Parts: sequence; structure tokens; C-alpha cells
Amino acid sequence: MSTDEILSTIQACLVEIAGDEILIAGPITPATSFNGDLELESIEFVALAEKLQQRFGQRVDFVGWISKKELDQIIALTVGELVEFIASCRP
Amino acid sequence: MPTVTANGVATHVQELGAGSPVVMTHGLIIGSLASWYFTAGPELAREHRVRMYDLRGHGRSARPATGYDTATLARDLDALTAELPQFDLVGHSWGGLVALRFALAHPERVRRLAIVEAPIPPSTAIDLLGPDVTPEGLIGALPDSLRAAVASGRRQAERLLATVVALVRDTTLLADVRSEPEPDARELRVPTLLAYGDRSSCLAGGRTLAAQIPGASLHVLPGGHYLHLDAKAELVRLLAEHLRG
Repeated sequence: MSTDEILSTIQACLVEIAGDEILIAGPITPATSFNGDLELESIEFVALAEKLQQRFGQRVDFVGWISKKELDQIIALTVGELVEFIASCRP
Repeated sequence: MPTVTANGVATHVQELGAGSPVVMTHGLIIGSLASWYFTAGPELAREHRVRMYDLRGHGRSARPATGYDTATLARDLDALTAELPQFDLVGHSWGGLVALRFALAHPERVRRLAIVEAPIPPSTAIDLLGPDVTPEGLIGALPDSLRAAVASGRRQAERLLATVVALVRDTTLLADVRSEPEPDARELRVPTLLAYGDRSSCLAGGRTLAAQIPGASLHVLPGGHYLHLDAKAELVRLLAEHLRG
């Protein structure tokens, strides 16, 4: 799966969780931040973790990856960083 | 989204890891299972099957108008764990009081208990909400990191405000907190860890519980009420050691 495909999968998951209005400022790009731009709630982040696990399988340990980060790093997290992480988990 | 009906309430549940079971409960108003899911939950999941859920009225669980007292919330917990063998129980703040209540009622079902920052007497939980228990006042009393996130934004602020308004105006939550009786933990026979912040207004309550619960160990960590954020690494280490038993 290419990074573009990973990005569009993440976007589809976010729309499922938060509705179309999550795209109100335009399509999601690698520079989009989950907190500052999308303003995702922490409980929506849990839903994202679950959906990513369903789409990408156990190999993508999103929760384990997040849990090693400090709170300020989680708050600053961008879609691009998540794409890179998922890409690095794939064979 | 895994939703199960427990004690008549549609409840959002998540699990991580495998091993002996641990159930984690969160605090009121701004708490949700995310409080643990992105902090101690994944760390404990290295050795345990960790079950986290949104208390009624919180996160993605349904929001009934009543039942925010620890007796009702402990019945929710009972229903959510009915199929589990004996398990460990970890609770933050009001969730810690729920865990204590459950352990007192069902000591045979709880292997080890960890109470983080539970307010004693329980009605002092109101003080944690700040001097102004209107929705706007509650937003002002958020921990710095969350308040900054809310202040910077529109969507998060709107959604958090909607949750707070719904809980404060449309449910008995505040009345339930004010009328919650003080627990008598002297009869507790479950190995118990108590973790409190050195800057938390709840610390005196931790000392009260430590004096009541036979053999309980009180650990004072650097931080305030939201210890899973303020002292995450140290709290995780303590919890993991305690649950390793």
C-alpha cells in the first residue's frame, strides 16, 4: 500500500468517526494535525485506533506507538507522522 | 465500536493485551476510557488483558439522567465484568471510589486493587471541579494541558462544553456526588495500592484511606490530580509492580 493509499484510508476512518464536517477546512494532508487542525477528541482518537487496527491488522500497533509519546507530542501529532508509522509497520 | 449493554446502559468498552485481566475505571466529567487508553492502559497490556470502559454519561457510553453514585456505578462494573475470572481493578478519581465500592462488595472477585487520586470524603470531588460549577467554570478548572487545547480551538471546545452541559444540567451527577456517603474501607481485605499527587487536594483523602485499609501502601508522586498525565511513567511502574504482585 502506498503512502497516498494510507492517507486516504486514514481520511476515510476519520470521516466515519467524526462525520463529513471533519473535512470542512479541506482534504486531509500529511501536514494536518489531529489536535490543532482536526480538533479530534481523545475518545475519537480511541475510535481511530480501533479502526486502524481493523484496516491494517495487528501489525500496526497504533496504541503502543502512541503510548510511548509524551502528551505534548501526542497533541502535536500530524497525519503525516501516522502515515509514516503505518508505512514502517508494513512488510 | 464495541458497545455492550450493562445494567441497562449502552456502554463503550475497549480491550488491549492478553494475560490476567485488569479493569480500569476513569474519573467524572472530563474523564473517559481515553484517560487510560493512551496512558497506563497500553503499558499494563504488555502483561495483562486490560479492559477499559466509558462510565455512564461519559465518552461514547449512553448518558442516563441518573445513577452517578458509586453504588450504581459499581453495579455497572459488576455487569461489565460478569464473565471475567478474578481480576485486578484500577480506578482514577471517582472511578477509584467505584473500584473501592466494588472491592468492598465483592472482595472475592478482586485480586488486587489500585486507587489513584480518589477523593475522600467523596463529596470533595466537587472541589476538584473548581469554585464555579457552571459549565463555563468547569472548563476554566481543566488541567493546563487540556485547557490550552480547548482554548486554542473551536470544535473541541464546543464538544467538551456540550458534554459538561449535558452532565451538569441534564443528569443527577452533581447531586449524586454531593450526597455520596463516605466509604468505610476498614474491612477491605484486597491488597491495595494508593497513588496520590503531592500537589493534589486529594492527598489528605489518600492518607485517610491508607489509615483505614489494612496493609495498603500509599505512594505520593510528583503531580496533581491527573497523575496519569503528570507522572505517567512513575504511575505505570507502580501499577505494573503492584499487579505483578
